[in-house]
Amino acid sequence: MNFNIAVAGNPNCGKTTIFNALTGAKQRVGNWPGVTVEKKSGHYNHSDIKFDVIDLPGTYSLAAFSAEETIVRQYLENDEADVVVNIIDASNLERNLFLTTQLIELGKPLVLVLNMMDMADEKGLQIDVDTLATLLGAPVVPVVGRTGEGIDLLKEKILRVSTEISMKARLIDISYPRDIEIEIEKLHQLIQENDVTDKHSRWTSIKLLESDQQTRDEVRLHNNGADILDQAKVSINRIEGLFKDTGRAIISSARYGFIQGAMRECVVESLVGSVDYSRQIDRVLTNRWLGLPIFGLFMWLMFKLTYDIGSIPMDWIDSGLVALMNFISDLLPNSMFASLLVDGVIGGVGAIAVFLPNIFILFLIIAVLEDSGYMARVAFIMDRVMHNIGLHGKAFIPMIMGFGCNVPAIMGTRILESRRDRILTVLINPFMSCSARLPVYVLVAGAFFPDNAATVIFSMYILGIIAAIGSGKLFSRTILKGMSKPFVLELPPYQRPTLRSLILHTWERGYLFIQKMGTVILVGSVIIWVLGYFPREVELDRDYGSERTTLTQHHDTQLADLESKFKKSVDQDRSGYHSEMIAYESSSSYLELHEQFQLLQEELSSKKSKQLYSLRQQEIGDITEQKWIGRVGKIFEPIVRPLGFTWRESVALITGFVAKEIVVSTYGVLFGVGEDVDEGSQGVISGLRSSGMTPLVALSFLVFTLLYTPCLATVAAIKRETGTWAYTIFSVAYSLGLAYTLAFGVAYFGRMFNWLS
Amino acid sequence: MFNFKKPRHKLHISDENDLRLSDLKPGEKGRIVEIGGSENFRHRLIEMGLTRDAEIWVDKYAPLRDPMELIVKGYHLSLRGMDAQKIAVERIA
Repeated sequence: MNFNIAVAGNPNCGKTTIFNALTGAKQRVGNWPGVTVEKKSGHYNHSDIKFDVIDLPGTYSLAAFSAEETIVRQYLENDEADVVVNIIDASNLERNLFLTTQLIELGKPLVLVLNMMDMADEKGLQIDVDTLATLLGAPVVPVVGRTGEGIDLLKEKILRVSTEISMKARLIDISYPRDIEIEIEKLHQLIQENDVTDKHSRWTSIKLLESDQQTRDEVRLHNNGADILDQAKVSINRIEGLFKDTGRAIISSARYGFIQGAMRECVVESLVGSVDYSRQIDRVLTNRWLGLPIFGLFMWLMFKLTYDIGSIPMDWIDSGLVALMNFISDLLPNSMFASLLVDGVIGGVGAIAVFLPNIFILFLIIAVLEDSGYMARVAFIMDRVMHNIGLHGKAFIPMIMGFGCNVPAIMGTRILESRRDRILTVLINPFMSCSARLPVYVLVAGAFFPDNAATVIFSMYILGIIAAIGSGKLFSRTILKGMSKPFVLELPPYQRPTLRSLILHTWERGYLFIQKMGTVILVGSVIIWVLGYFPREVELDRDYGSERTTLTQHHDTQLADLESKFKKSVDQDRSGYHSEMIAYESSSSYLELHEQFQLLQEELSSKKSKQLYSLRQQEIGDITEQKWIGRVGKIFEPIVRPLGFTWRESVALITGFVAKEIVVSTYGVLFGVGEDVDEGSQGVISGLRSSGMTPLVALSFLVFTLLYTPCLATVAAIKRETGTWAYTIFSVAYSLGLAYTLAFGVAYFGRMFNWLS
Repeated sequence: MFNFKKPRHKLHISDENDLRLSDLKPGEKGRIVEIGGSENFRHRLIEMGLTRDAEIWVDKYAPLRDPMELIVKGYHLSLRGMDAQKIAVERIA
């Protein structure tokens, strides 16, 4: 035997805490069909009965105003739940009961949970729980979700309401002013006579008075539906004439009237000794002068902690991966399979795996900000700025997160309520320069702008922000026009987050990252490995082997020449040396000659190794050019030639689609210094410099790298969060277009004015 | 003071001298007279407890002057100035 329990309540009422307390860690996260609203479900056993629990999205009402409200309403109207558990923030009773009045009218067996009783006490609110239960006709359980106090009693009440018929039948009607009741009754009778709905005919009547579109559509389908709608029209006109407002506003106001009546009977407010702690905290945190600096400090701390703490396990993972690579190479020397594992799988997936600590720490900090209530203040502080781009203040958080990694940032757009805001934020997020782009900047800027590298890198970040703001303004005036929702934001009381909910939040998001992005990166890395590995045998125009021999021989001859010259000079010098006191080999003139000889010798050998190295680079370049990866690069070369790019840049940018940091390792392969390069590698820097790239082309390359689609994982995240391929393809096409245009602009105007050539 | 004859339409708060929520300074208290704007906006606010005759208290303005923080029905709510301008209030002591 099992029962379905639906947990409903306002946002910020502690619903998820109660859900966690009921189900423990046994929960699953998914999406509601067709929409990107999280669906959480779990279960628990009580008295040998299994209870399946659904955590419904937090809503203020059931008006179908937002995606969340529509989901909750459909779920409850479809009779899937046996019992509805309504979580009510006791410290904010009046507004929370608004949803309760609608849940009562839906007629489901109901258990009311007064959460945050401790905060209600602090606020000086004394609630008469028994009277409230009588007035609302449903059992009321006071709990403190954070400590788990009252959860056992709640489970007991849920069990009784599920199993005992007598517990179900007690729901009362919310009473409305007499004039409204008359009209409700008329509609109610008509609906019952025509069998429109068997269970919640009173709810349907009230919804008709509210001119609710969904209800009207349902009623219209029935026999005599038109008659009912006609009666509804008459009734609405009557009450609107009487109360001088719309039907929906009248009903809502009347619900608040009922709530106020109930509050008078069961709540005693003593202002003596009550403190609004949140308000005291906000005197500092959202203070007119201190609010912004403190917010800035928090953001800086967020980055600092993410990168500083994250770098410790990052090094462990890194050395672990290197050890694993070495182990496999030793085990399977020179086999194709070893190369696939080491260079393809571990090299590619490992490049992402090292970022996991950063990502988990970032998610943990975000969870702290959300659970504590500070996130709402961020929206409050930054709304003015974000409003400029046509966005909600909360959208600032995913934008900032984008500097770390666009994937969690795009997933973080879920904190936004309106779909239009979510899509807009998702579309502009990739322009926030993520940490994976930094290695590319460091490499290229270091090679071509050694004196101004920091300035160049910083301007990339600024250009990214400008691109995001500009695109945001453009989108909100064109493709995403007029879908904006008014800014109505609750600032919930501050709370100390519970460890359990922090861990759960962090894990849920982190796991999605591992799961989704791991697969994409894996496939992409293997593809690039295949392109770089085949064909095995390539034909080269030049005979590098004999060139190498000639070069070595040439050097050996030169060295021999030098030696004989030195000997000659020494002999000459010795013949003119007469001192008996000091041996010739210790004389200053000999030492001088010897020193000169050594210098020339060193110069010669370093010249030799440089030439050999450059020859080797040319050889590997030539080989890579013949591999599939090079051929692909050649195909795209004509397209990127106007930007000043060669087939090498074309290959680097294509591989950068998998992940931006791969650009660096691709250059490593192209210049034959192996894949184990980092951005400080001298081999790649000298390779880039000798490849004919000018500082201007380098700048154009950086602009392109900044602006084009960050990585496959981001594309996957965009698809996931927007839910459509249309926006995903648009995002890729738009960012490619913008990258090409701006990079071309840099190259074109640079050539025109002879900058940086 | 207001034209209530056409309740179905957006209310035209035409009187130039009337007081809006956005005119209140931090620490001032008002009583809601009428809410204008789109149907969805009005209904959302009413559902959030901003019913006619509800008392509303301006707590503060954000550091960048917008939005504003309000206290209504014992909880804290934030609205933009441009939206608060659609809410007619009368000042109460």
